[in-house]
Amino acid sequence: MHEETGQEPIDSHFQLPIPNATGVLVLGILSIPACCCLGGLGGIVMGIISLVMASKAQQLYTADPARYTVASFKNVSAGKICAIIGLSLSALTLVTTVVRVILGLASIMAIPELEKVMEEFLK
Amino acid sequence: MSGLIHWLEDHLLSCPYKAGLGIECPGCGFQRALVALLKGDFAESFALYPALLPMLMLFGVLALHIKYSFKHGAMALKILFVVNVVLIFGGWIAKML
Repeated sequence: MHEETGQEPIDSHFQLPIPNATGVLVLGILSIPACCCLGGLGGIVMGIISLVMASKAQQLYTADPARYTVASFKNVSAGKICAIIGLSLSALTLVTTVVRVILGLASIMAIPELEKVMEEFLK
Repeated sequence: MSGLIHWLEDHLLSCPYKAGLGIECPGCGFQRALVALLKGDFAESFALYPALLPMLMLFGVLALHIKYSFKHGAMALKILFVVNVVLIFGGWIAKML
């Protein structure tokens, strides 16, 4: 079966996976492809949902570790790391996209002050 | 297979940012790279979207790990994820500059 721990041989066949462990992992990993949606917002939303689910999962696990499989906890940890990375990069993507849109609009509308800011920025 | 390739080429989803504003998002090039890969043109595929094969591997390993729960599946996924992130965002920044 799924258990790798040899520490609780008596109880190990009664261990269940932590609820939503797979969800944490999947959403954390998908936060990167999702950052292409809505200019970064998709990734941010998935990252946040994954982290919320991860924190609940971790609370359940630390309250009673013997009850849950170690494998599912590893999935939660991996999903959480992916979600944090995905969330940060999605936020950066969003900021970058907004900046590029503003710079693009500024050059279209040829606002002198904004053009000066652009030139300063590009130097 | 050639039917699939033709269907994909005819049904490329357009990116609203590229179409409307001319800016590329981190996923731009993925579909064309996939078509190039299916045609066997690895160099073109890599040039269009370097993270394509790593990304397909990531999804593949994720699906298999969910089903079979590999012992080192979580670690493999973390590594694949980081490789993907580096390639996706490295490529995106390189395109922007």
